Amino acid sequence: MSEWTGILELDVENRQGRTVADNIYFQGAFKVMRPVYFGKNSYPCYYLLNPGGGYLDGDTYRMRVSLGEDSRLTLTTQSSTKVYKTPKSYAYQETEFHLKKNSYLEYLPDALIAYKDAKYIQKNVVYMEKGATLLYSDIVTPGWSPEGDAFSYDTLRLKSEIYMDGELVVFDHVKLQPEQQNMTGLGFMEGYTHLGSFIVIGEKTDDALIDRLYEVVHAESGDFEFGISKLTVPGFTLRIIADKTQVIERVTAACHAAISEEWQQMKPSFLRKY
Amino acid sequence: MTNNALSLFQLCDSNFPTGSFSHSFGLETYIQKDKVVDAETFSGWLKVYLHEQLAYADGLAARIVYEALEQDDLDKVWEMDRILTVQNLAKESRDGTQRMGDRMLDIAESIYNIPILSAYRKRLKNKQSFGHSAIVFTMVGHYLGVEKKTTIVYYLYSTIAALVQNAVRAIPLGQTAGQKVIYAFQEELKAAGDRIIGLDEMEFGVVAPGLEISQMQHERVGIRIFSS
Repeated sequence: MSEWTGILELDVENRQGRTVADNIYFQGAFKVMRPVYFGKNSYPCYYLLNPGGGYLDGDTYRMRVSLGEDSRLTLTTQSSTKVYKTPKSYAYQETEFHLKKNSYLEYLPDALIAYKDAKYIQKNVVYMEKGATLLYSDIVTPGWSPEGDAFSYDTLRLKSEIYMDGELVVFDHVKLQPEQQNMTGLGFMEGYTHLGSFIVIGEKTDDALIDRLYEVVHAESGDFEFGISKLTVPGFTLRIIADKTQVIERVTAACHAAISEEWQQMKPSFLRKY
Repeated sequence: MTNNALSLFQLCDSNFPTGSFSHSFGLETYIQKDKVVDAETFSGWLKVYLHEQLAYADGLAARIVYEALEQDDLDKVWEMDRILTVQNLAKESRDGTQRMGDRMLDIAESIYNIPILSAYRKRLKNKQSFGHSAIVFTMVGHYLGVEKKTTIVYYLYSTIAALVQNAVRAIPLGQTAGQKVIYAFQEELKAAGDRIIGLDEMEFGVVAPGLEISQMQHERVGIRIFSS
């Protein structure tokens, strides 16, 4: 594909203890805002935004982000990702992350809202070196339709592949196709409407952290179901089903806070959205 | 049935000692939550497990491995061992398939002299591969010259039959009720086999979120008779 609707490239590196952008390039309908260094943070938070307001039929987006050794970056979106109806084709986004040794990436995009008859394919590929840390979350909502019906989109496919030192260590494939699946039924969404995932890879993951996360999640109120399980490499997946984006955000944020405290002795910054 | 199919059938026997009797793959979570309480609710769970999880993971992997063996593409076989293992985000279920794969490989190696089984064993020893019964089963099926779809359906059958036996003990169900479920599942297995043959490779590993969460939750269920 030579003609992308939007392209974004961002490389960051550690310069004397402070993470700064080495290269930023964007083109078309994909932009980042000026970086924000929260509080006394030595690393930036970048907000992605889609000036068009949402993804249209046939749109293709590519994002490539690299973190140099010992660098740290928080990446989020300015608001939810909307995918409008795609009568002819589909909307596509691919994201590639490269994490050098001891780098630390938090990629925490807002929820995905697919409109009636929308088809969307997302592919995330992460190449990390041993010693790097990844925190990645996503939320899939039941979408939007003029009639207010849940699950009126056509198909959502979200694939994530994580490689560590060249070996595939995580493969996640969420495909939601309401026409073909008993969406709310047993084994699927179990009566819920929103699906949240939080994949964390970090060498310091141990059983004590998992125990703590269980406590943290159990302390959260609201109606949801969740599971936490360790990966084949130090790290875990948290999967949540709920009826509200906010519930998933709250549970994920609570886990994120616990991890930051355990691993960094700090609180994660509150990601202000403008 | 050819003699070779009969040989493969030995691996389908629920008494074939792979340890499948100790894995419920999240079924026990549903039983504890009183969501699976009888033959009917169990059949409902089993259908979702077969069509929404097993078909996309083990089933499609078996087909891809079979085709790779036909083309002598061993790299593809080892790639499937890895992806089939790492797509399973629930640790107990993942560890369970690994242990069962290891056991099945042991027994298959002691019965058959198939070079690829030895190669698989060597990779397991060197921690280059994880081990999975769907892959061992497919290797044996391919070696015996059992047709691709038959191999896949037999593998699915072996998994389903083991889960029915486990449900009989855990829910509990009567033995007759269990056999009726297996009988009723013949059509489901055929449908799953047909579908797997036609699936695009890109469909591999599609998650059924509720099943996966129940498999993760099993790590913390109160009373457990199963390891997953």
